[in-house]
Amino acid sequence: MTTDMRLNADIAPPSPLRSAWLAFAANKGALAALIVFAVMVVAALGASLFAPHDPVEQARDHLLTPPAWDAAGIRAYLLGTDELGRDLVSRLLYGGRISLGIAFASVLLSTLPGTALGLIAAFFPRAIGTAIMRLMDLMLALPGLLLALCVVAILGPGLFNTVIAIAISTLPNYTRLVRAATLAEIPREYVTASRVAGAGPLRLMFLTVLPNCMAPLIVQSTLGFSSAIIQTAALGFLGLGVQPPMPEWGTMLASARAYTDSAPWVVTVPGLTILITVLAVNLIGDGLRDALDPKLKQA
Amino acid sequence: MIAFILRKLATLAPTFLGITLIAFALIHAIPGDPVEVMVGEHMLDPVAHQEALHRLGLDLPLPVQYGHYLLQLLHGNLGDSLATHEPIWNDFLARFPATIELSLVAIVLAVLVGIPMGVIAAIKRGSLVDRAAMGLALTGYSMPIFWWGLMLIKVFSVQLGWTPVSGRIGIEFDIDPHTGFMLIDVLMAPDKGAFCSAVLHLVLPGIVLATVPMAVIARMTRSSMLEVLREDYIRAARARGLSPFRVVIVHGLRNALLPVITVIGLQTGSLLAGAVLTETVFAWPGIGKWLVDAILNRDYPVAQAGILIVATVIVAVNFLVDVLYGVVNPRLRGGAA
Repeated sequence: MTTDMRLNADIAPPSPLRSAWLAFAANKGALAALIVFAVMVVAALGASLFAPHDPVEQARDHLLTPPAWDAAGIRAYLLGTDELGRDLVSRLLYGGRISLGIAFASVLLSTLPGTALGLIAAFFPRAIGTAIMRLMDLMLALPGLLLALCVVAILGPGLFNTVIAIAISTLPNYTRLVRAATLAEIPREYVTASRVAGAGPLRLMFLTVLPNCMAPLIVQSTLGFSSAIIQTAALGFLGLGVQPPMPEWGTMLASARAYTDSAPWVVTVPGLTILITVLAVNLIGDGLRDALDPKLKQA
Repeated sequence: MIAFILRKLATLAPTFLGITLIAFALIHAIPGDPVEVMVGEHMLDPVAHQEALHRLGLDLPLPVQYGHYLLQLLHGNLGDSLATHEPIWNDFLARFPATIELSLVAIVLAVLVGIPMGVIAAIKRGSLVDRAAMGLALTGYSMPIFWWGLMLIKVFSVQLGWTPVSGRIGIEFDIDPHTGFMLIDVLMAPDKGAFCSAVLHLVLPGIVLATVPMAVIARMTRSSMLEVLREDYIRAARARGLSPFRVVIVHGLRNALLPVITVIGLQTGSLLAGAVLTETVFAWPGIGKWLVDAILNRDYPVAQAGILIVATVIVAVNFLVDVLYGVVNPRLRGGAA
């Protein structure tokens, strides 16, 4: 009895999710990146547990303390302190919450409407579709950071406005992607079959077609996540994003800039954190693309 | 060919109109009292307030205001800066060459490094060289360039003292801005040291701005080369006994370049976005820094004009790339393009 079942399990093809995971896990770099990223997410979520200090607490007698491995370093401040005597480790941990949180929120806020608009544009290609795509082309005339700057110019800087600025600036990418993928699916027989069986437009869009467009969408939103981290940091660095004293990674760089020479760690550490996080997410994105979307595989 | 260009031009007009609409809306979407925002004075008495509204034309219906705005634009009038009270167009003309110069240096650098990197990675596919090159490209692609700029300044300008920290030319040189392009202007200067100074000032910002496009070009070149190298005509060329160099460069690269050229053209937008950050880090007096300063100082007319101009430049360059692409690849001139 048990042997029979195991035999059957061996014969049955692995589920799509499992086969995708196997393909992803075969890519060592992507797997390592996933582990690094998971550690970062856990560290950011548990910032209040792991952080040795309050991220905005100022130790007035420990201004610009070097990292612990330096001769002048103190064990209590593992990565040193900034110009106001705030612990860098704690600021990075809490900053992770803000940076990753903004990236997550902005990806969600751009994928959901972006997907809906893309589906609508593909299903109603005449007036509505043309209007939507013209608007998207217009938004693409100002790419990424510039459109975000435009939104910040109107709304003013701040945490929530950063989310909105990044979400708006990446929306057209998702709309175009989903529209293209949907247009490729609509002529297929299973869609016609579903239509003949009496499925309404909403059911056709979200239950019939959308699941078959998920692969490129997942890849795009992963890459969107990494660019959102960079954009958040860039806006923060320009003084147009999250405002101090909030410990966002780019904002930390902006205030530490003046100390690049005298206290290099206040600039090196947040920058390396951004680079490592973005690199990890991009590696995951490349791995996902190869695993989910063999057509796009870079040979 | 002419029909192809005209068709492309026709799609351009609504885009330009849309951009002006966005720029127009920018001023009106700002929360708060428009007079306070535009005049920069608070607590005006009601009569003065009404006068200011009338003087700025803000008491007219919105469509009329938009019409006025378009008319002003057609006359080349972008308004005056709130901060300097200078016509914005003059400020723009004084700064734009600096951004073009920096962007051109960056894109040339990105092409000179990115294409060979992609070709070598494709030929040595799977080897250590390939992995190193692609690892480097992915790192460049993931780089927060503002931080990268700070690090380069720290090492090469402060510690090694090889390059200047910021600006376009040493303060000891007094260069007349004939063209606004420093590399050309210094050639007319009597002092030959000025040219070296200008080049040295360009090195670090050029590298920083080139980093992301270089990575994109290297990745694109590699995948395009890998595709082309599988083609039958490559095998045929090899079978005819042509030298490996000839096969790869003449038969391979030439055919692989088409998608790469598209990608290079599409970098205009990201170059200008990158210029905003690079110019801020290196105190480079271009339009990127100008735009950020305007937004930071709430100089709304300048922000409005800056966004209008940058979007126009991007749309215009994308149009040129489209047309050039149609020249290179006649298949695209059909109705679908």
